[in-house]
Amino acid sequence: TSGCGQQQEAVAVESELEPFSVFRTQESDPACQSEKHLGQFYTLPPAHFRPLFPHGLPYRYQQQVKTFNEACFMVRSPALEVISYLKKADYSKPALRYLFYGLKGSGKTMSLCHAVHFCYTQGWLVLHIPDAHLWVKNCKELLPSSFNSARLDQPLQATTWLRNFRTTNERFLSQIKTTHRYAWTKREFTDEGRPLGELVNQGISRVKSSSDVVGALMKELRLQSGQPGAGFRLAVAVDGVNALWGRSTIKKENKSAVDLEELTLIHNLRKLVKNDWVRRTLVLTTVTAWSPTQLTGFDSMDPFIPVSVPNYSEKEFESVYLYYLDRKWLQHPQSRTEDGKKELVFLSNRNPSMLDRICGFL
Amino acid sequence: MASRTTKALLSLGRINIPALGLNNAVSRVTYATALSVNSSSSKKGAPERNGRGFGSRKPRREAEGPRTEKMPVDQDWTAVYPAATPFRPGSVPLPVRMGYPVKGGVPPEKKGNLELIKIPNFLHLTPAAIKKHCEALKPFCTEWPSALDTDAKCDEHFPIKVECTDYVSSGLSVRNPSARIVQLKVKLSVLNLDDHARKKMLKLVGERYCKDTDVLTITTDSCPLRQQNYDYAQYLLTVLYHESWKTEAWEAEKTVADMEEYSWEGSPSQKNIMDLLLRMNVAGEGEGEEVREQLLGRSEVQEYKDSVTRLKNEGDNEGSVLQYKEAVKKVFNL
Repeated sequence: TSGCGQQQEAVAVESELEPFSVFRTQESDPACQSEKHLGQFYTLPPAHFRPLFPHGLPYRYQQQVKTFNEACFMVRSPALEVISYLKKADYSKPALRYLFYGLKGSGKTMSLCHAVHFCYTQGWLVLHIPDAHLWVKNCKELLPSSFNSARLDQPLQATTWLRNFRTTNERFLSQIKTTHRYAWTKREFTDEGRPLGELVNQGISRVKSSSDVVGALMKELRLQSGQPGAGFRLAVAVDGVNALWGRSTIKKENKSAVDLEELTLIHNLRKLVKNDWVRRTLVLTTVTAWSPTQLTGFDSMDPFIPVSVPNYSEKEFESVYLYYLDRKWLQHPQSRTEDGKKELVFLSNRNPSMLDRICGFL
Repeated sequence: MASRTTKALLSLGRINIPALGLNNAVSRVTYATALSVNSSSSKKGAPERNGRGFGSRKPRREAEGPRTEKMPVDQDWTAVYPAATPFRPGSVPLPVRMGYPVKGGVPPEKKGNLELIKIPNFLHLTPAAIKKHCEALKPFCTEWPSALDTDAKCDEHFPIKVECTDYVSSGLSVRNPSARIVQLKVKLSVLNLDDHARKKMLKLVGERYCKDTDVLTITTDSCPLRQQNYDYAQYLLTVLYHESWKTEAWEAEKTVADMEEYSWEGSPSQKNIMDLLLRMNVAGEGEGEEVREQLLGRSEVQEYKDSVTRLKNEGDNEGSVLQYKEAVKKVFNL
């Protein structure tokens, strides 16, 4: 609350300088956002943006951030709802899972990122997997796993992810220590008691064993975050969680399809998402364009709280429209008229991604 | 005619011998008259203007407009189209257009429109015509039983409905092979089936059952005669009924995937929530069966169970997902 107070003072100063804009709010700490900020944009402080989202934002949004030179999230009710649960939840109970679901392009990934920002500002360790679908298809290299010969590794994906993980969670890497001894090859090993950073660096430098490093990392975090003495809370955010139980398009060399259980990364991720660990951890996920019951993994995810992400409401649409006007994104003269606005509503059906694509041409 | 011409020729023959000039003129004259008489008597219609003059000819009437302009609004249409006939633009007083539109224009009008003539039309089967047909058929029908005046009573006394079609056509043969098809419809609620029998019946019958109307439809067409098909359909119904009451030994191997509906007991969902709750109430509770019973009895768990069952059985609509969400929130005390 003290943080909020300071924020509000800073707000008072800034609002005198900037003209009052209806669609923006100065409250950039997600913890202090509430229903009265619904529909308004808040700016992510650049200091947070770089480390928090090296991966995980939708591609079009990343381009928009580059164009507008600022990262603005809209405060929408699904994200606010989940944040309120996060605040209220009792962390002595087992991990809670929340699932964002909705139509294609309705803002699920953005809501997830909003919630992740909240976790980050609260000082939690964020384990953000940008798109589980990327791990399940179009894999160029597959290696048989060194740890378990029945499984297959994906070194490239694992190394990219480890690098991004390191960027996000720098400060934790020296704090947390390993509890087991891991032997990667006959000669390389990581002792117990070493900082986690060493584990991560091991994975990045030795590409061959990177998938196993990911597995070890997840195990460590799972074990440690459950302990009462641990100094951190773990938040796991998986985008596109239905990829974990669907089909994969990866083929082995003999052209037979790979069963998802055989992929080390997926295997470890499934263990992470399951509820068998206690305390202080939670999982946020999004499902691409589906309804919750059709999840094949419903039984492993159950019980979870489904949160629906709908298209923009009237008010939210107004906000986005004003934001684009303010950023001079809508150049066409007719887009400023009432008729133009109605046309935009009609064409995009208030679907956020559709609107973004249409406005791109104007 | 023939005699006249020969005479002319003979005269020509005699005259030709002495001097040609004068005779030629004479011969031409004879030719001309003979020809002119011939032509005038053979062609009757050509000199129309002079037609009346020759007599014994029908007065030709002017071509009038199409009949549609003279049709009264309350005419008897069944007289205009008493039988199936091709479309006659002059007889149908409707501004019908048909065909692919001209570029930048509209479909062509009915006058001289081959498209309208090609297709079959039902102008001979208007409601007025059907009424007349029914009136004509009435002397051949028997009376409807007066006790069966509502649909419900009909269903009650005659639950099995058999439908067959007769075909009439004019051609070389009156037989139509489609006349052998028999369709038997019955509602499953009138049959005495218990739970297991009903499920087995549904599995045996497959697509022939409609869930919305609870009607089982058996269509038979494998035998050549209608009577044979009817007997076969009755036989099928009897056999289905008796077989679904029997329980075979191999039915004990029914797996979860075979189940028609979702049952929460013993499902992974139940396991999950039980584990969860056990871990949440770690301190103070004893182990074993009583704990499980107690937990199961709690209202939140009951609600959760209802919502999961509903979600799985009904698929997901807004209501069931929201119900599930509320139930999970209650379990976690959010």
